Amino acid sequence: MDATLKFLINVGQLKDRKRRGWIANQVPNCETTASHIFRTAIFAWILGKKKNLNINKLLKMSLVHDICEVYAPDETPYDPLLPANFESIKDKKKTEEILNKWPKLSLAQKKRRAELKYKREEKSLRRLLKGTPVAFQKEIMDLWQDFEKGYSKEGRFAKQIDKAENFLQGMEYWQKYGKIKRDLWIRWAKEIFDEPIIIDFIKTIEKDITTKKK
Amino acid sequence: MIEEKFYLTKQGLEKIEKEYKELLLLKQEKIHSETPVVFHSEELDTEFVAFKEDIELIEARTADLEYVLKHYEIIEPPTGQNKETVQLGAKVLVDVAGETDELILVGTLEANPIEGKISNESPVGRALLGKKVGDIVQLSSPVVVSYKIKKVSY
Repeated sequence: MDATLKFLINVGQLKDRKRRGWIANQVPNCETTASHIFRTAIFAWILGKKKNLNINKLLKMSLVHDICEVYAPDETPYDPLLPANFESIKDKKKTEEILNKWPKLSLAQKKRRAELKYKREEKSLRRLLKGTPVAFQKEIMDLWQDFEKGYSKEGRFAKQIDKAENFLQGMEYWQKYGKIKRDLWIRWAKEIFDEPIIIDFIKTIEKDITTKKK
Repeated sequence: MIEEKFYLTKQGLEKIEKEYKELLLLKQEKIHSETPVVFHSEELDTEFVAFKEDIELIEARTADLEYVLKHYEIIEPPTGQNKETVQLGAKVLVDVAGETDELILVGTLEANPIEGKISNESPVGRALLGKKVGDIVQLSSPVVVSYKIKKVSY
């Protein structure tokens, strides 16, 4: 099969790939990885304009940031603690108990987890890109590494937008289904965002969504 | 205009300096050994376009690093009484809602929450700065989050 066609078919799998974090939280009919990518790109575009960033780079980065999930797991902060089959009825109660608390890991465990995640995702991305035009492969790898390592202003911004989209989705699910642990998410947001434009937007989400349950 | 300042740990600075030197070398090597011969228009020659893109990427990254290297301030471990307070570079043990957690306070360039490295410009980072063991910091929003500082080390 033509390598570009194969790549597109593989990437297309993300349109049906439900995000594991929401499954663990038992969110009904939850979003897919492609849905998350779509709104991350729009989010990056609209807020990136305010910061006068390179929108072309930001959009491409947002589009590729999670495509490694074709072959790598969509990891959540709770992964090292969750039972292997958290989707099974047998492990549902245990999963709920774990998700009710902050994911407690030592600094060494956090570091190790981050390193392993990076390695797994890099390997997956190389596998996914195999056979596509060399210049395309290189561009995607550079964008992904920039996103992961925060080499440029766009890389650091896109990384936070990714989390901000996740936060918005989580709070929408909290509002709609109440399945999400809102207080833990709000604490998480206070630790991870340091970009003033994004911090301001998080406050808007908190004001308009996290106080009003449907 | 406020000049941007990047707070770096000694290790963070070494990493950036190393990468900067390696990129300069890489650029030189590429220019001397890989510059493709252009047989027709530069815009049409794919090998030349790929080469040009590589060089542009290296230049963009070295420019970013040069900017950081001109505007950094090294995080020095505090001395005297300051050792007991949360400053940049501090490893902080906190208690939040009865659960303990460990975090390291760093500058925005080295922040990586997945590794427990929290930016000094995040709401939690800002609130913890200057505080000491026993202090409780509260962050208010729809939910009040309280951090009790249990231990500070460098």
